[in-house]
Amino acid sequence: MELESLKYIWHSLEVPPDVEYDRRALLALLEKKSQAPIARMRRNLIGEGILLFVAYIPAILIFLLGFNGRLAAVSWLFILLLVFFFAYYYRKYRLLSKMQCPTCELRSNLARQVHTLRRYTRFYLLTGTGMIPLAYIAAYFIIRWKLPAVNPTPWLILLIPITIGMYYINASYVNRLYGRHIKKLQDLLQELDSE
Amino acid sequence: MQDPAIQEAFVRLVSEHRGMLYKVCRLYCFSEADRQDLFQEIVFQLWRSYPGFRGEARISTWLYRIALNTAISGLRKQRGLITTVEPDRLPTELQDIQYPAEKEEQVQLLYAAIDKLTEVEKALTMLYLDDRSYNEMEEILGISQNNLRVKMNRIREKLRKITQADVYGIGKS
Repeated sequence: MELESLKYIWHSLEVPPDVEYDRRALLALLEKKSQAPIARMRRNLIGEGILLFVAYIPAILIFLLGFNGRLAAVSWLFILLLVFFFAYYYRKYRLLSKMQCPTCELRSNLARQVHTLRRYTRFYLLTGTGMIPLAYIAAYFIIRWKLPAVNPTPWLILLIPITIGMYYINASYVNRLYGRHIKKLQDLLQELDSE
Repeated sequence: MQDPAIQEAFVRLVSEHRGMLYKVCRLYCFSEADRQDLFQEIVFQLWRSYPGFRGEARISTWLYRIALNTAISGLRKQRGLITTVEPDRLPTELQDIQYPAEKEEQVQLLYAAIDKLTEVEKALTMLYLDDRSYNEMEEILGISQNNLRVKMNRIREKLRKITQADVYGIGKS
């Protein structure tokens, strides 16, 4: 069958009848939140950030004000971690916000998604892996400072294999989460560009 | 954006173009539940983008861009065979319209043929069937008119083979 014949059938298709059209239901729909995965990821990120803030603040206060100030260093470690997490969540949120441009041309929107998603996964991987040695080193200095009798050097020997292991675990997790979607977007882009 | 006049204008816009939205949902989703999810997401994206629409592009170009971007590039999951949660009832009924037997056969043939195309090919075919010019297709898809013409020729040939196979059983064992 020729494309022109299909066009004839296409034009004869009816739109859903007016009787089914419900103006109030459409307006109610506008009040709802988007269920698209990116919108849900952004909402989850905000939720996680708030949860972390709520959990860390009491811990910081307890270590800062309690124990006659002897464990104040722990609260500084927590503050450092909180600042790190804030930067981490902010960066992820910004990347998610930039990921889509529904009013752009299809090709440029796909290219933008591939580019931003790659940056997002790279950031996810690097921070997820880098956090382990950073936390180790911070703990090392606190122990050396607060408990000079304890030698934490043997811990540091474990640092290298643990960091390498974490890198591969994170890489596999990130690939499982986003790998297939990035591949699909790349294939779509390739198809658009090929002549 | 709570201005009733803006809401009213938006509702009118969606109402006027619901046929096109329906077709996008039909082309890109197999199950009714997926179509309803996609319809909801397209309306949501249209609503979010509506204040930014300055009329620089044609309204049809703007609508097609949002609908196709949402359908093709959105991180969407197609539902599995088991659906445990029924979506809310939507303002525009997305169930397949029942046609008389002969026409129903033609419609099934049309959709069966288009369903065998890739996502990009479906977009091109839809724009072509909707009588969009190559100029507008370029504005919607962001690829050159030369490339569009090459692709359309290929799709034309592909559809011819698919419909021949479907109607006459050519190529089927």
